[in-house]
Amino acid sequence: MKDAAILLEHISKSYRLSHQPYSSLKGILLSMFRYRRRIEVHQALNDVNLTIWRGETVGLIGVNGSGKSTLLAIIARVIRPTAGTVQVNGRVAPLLQLGVGFHPDLTGLENVYFNGIILGLTRQQIAERLPSIVRFAELEEFIDTPVRAYSSGMVLRLGFAVAVHTDPEIILMDEVLAVGDEAFQHKCLRKIQDFQREGRTILLVSHDMNQVRQVATRVVWLHQGHIMADGATKDVVAQYLEFTAQLERQTL
Amino acid sequence: MIAELRELYRYRELLWTLVLRELRVRYKNSYLGFFWSLIVPLVTVAVLTIVFKRVMGMVIPNYSAYVLAAYLPWMYFQTALLDSSQSVLAQIQLVKKVYFPREVLPLAAVLANLIHFALALVVFFVYLLGYVRAPLLPSVVLLPVLVLFQTLLIAGISLIISCLNVFYEDTKYIVSIGLQLMFYLVPVIYFSEQVYHAQIASPEWQRWIYLVYHLNPIAMLMTAYRKILLPPITVQQVGAVQKQTFASLPMDWGLLAVACVVSVAIFVLGYAFFNKRKWEFAEQP
Repeated sequence: MKDAAILLEHISKSYRLSHQPYSSLKGILLSMFRYRRRIEVHQALNDVNLTIWRGETVGLIGVNGSGKSTLLAIIARVIRPTAGTVQVNGRVAPLLQLGVGFHPDLTGLENVYFNGIILGLTRQQIAERLPSIVRFAELEEFIDTPVRAYSSGMVLRLGFAVAVHTDPEIILMDEVLAVGDEAFQHKCLRKIQDFQREGRTILLVSHDMNQVRQVATRVVWLHQGHIMADGATKDVVAQYLEFTAQLERQTL
Repeated sequence: MIAELRELYRYRELLWTLVLRELRVRYKNSYLGFFWSLIVPLVTVAVLTIVFKRVMGMVIPNYSAYVLAAYLPWMYFQTALLDSSQSVLAQIQLVKKVYFPREVLPLAAVLANLIHFALALVVFFVYLLGYVRAPLLPSVVLLPVLVLFQTLLIAGISLIISCLNVFYEDTKYIVSIGLQLMFYLVPVIYFSEQVYHAQIASPEWQRWIYLVYHLNPIAMLMTAYRKILLPPITVQQVGAVQKQTFASLPMDWGLLAVACVVSVAIFVLGYAFFNKRKWEFAEQP
């Protein structure tokens, strides 16, 4: 029998949306005087059941606001679902977006330690993996330079290097590859292929269907908090593209 | 809460790394570095001493030592609260992506300021023994106890305001105004004996001022710092009309016990408050 890496049962998530641009004391005071408070409940996920097996690379696709990022946040344990149960077997490493978790005034090295520890490594583990991290990021000459002097590509490489060296069993990627240049994207793809060979589980949110086709072994299409389709990459991507083309025709 | 504390303990290395990062970042781009956190209180106390001795007519030997003994804990209270009020919001991008006990953010801000306070206390003792040449009182052994309870008090308030500031950014303004006003309600530039005297001078139905004043845990802790660090002193003020003398009062251990209990209660309540809302941080748009 196959091992489940992620088991989601009847997951629902609703957000309370207030119709005020800023939450502030003024906003609260004003809303107290208003006849009816305009708080709307937005159902980001609605009774989602999903099992992801160990070693799968699953592409999560869907239009903006379909609940992809919420689902990823629930798996990463940063958001708690309103209902349902989550079971995650194995160490999760989210790949952070450009510059998140980096302090511009600190050197690359200091930031590597901070990033590594926040992703669950110990100091000693980081020290052991440091040469490999620096080599992967191609930052041998700049590792003692403050990160503020880095180009965005360098920051991206360093963040990616730390994340892939945390030895995660489950990797979460939310549109993180869209930023880098050609060379970096190739490097990431190679790393993803390494992960796949090593039997790690990857969850990837992307709008780039070519990328999804290239790496995903299975695709889940979310729409308005429901799973619209779940299956072989080729089929689901085709269905999704058909749907978006139709949507485009309607709006024209 | 026990489970939350256990999880926090599991993440102690992250907490410590955050404390070091905070200390490292603060003075990264300044030449004098850590000395800035000494220069500010020393200059402030120098100015206060000159004004209160020359203008307000305080006649107290070593007035500056008495001001410093209360001003350093006050600085700890003030800077720790200002830093921690922003702590979660400043890292909101990280909070939205990575799991870790959210309380490490305000607690790291508090602990970084605790380290500054400890270093400032070392300088205080150098000043006391080297320059003022005051005797070291045996009651100095109580200093770690006061620091502990003050830290619990600060941590409790920090947990509440760092959490509120995520949802309402007005919090940091309220905190900063509140601290400015609070400065006048704690014994830094004057003495608790003067508060007591004000009580005696007032009509009988107002004879609760001293009590209410010291029910504020930070005010009581600061009175206590003075009393355990420095010998009792008779405060004299040369006013326009007459010379006033305020005899030294002994430490009110009952009120200190109340302050300690209140500090622990604020910590427990603050942590419970934070825990109740900490998983909503990542949902903020």
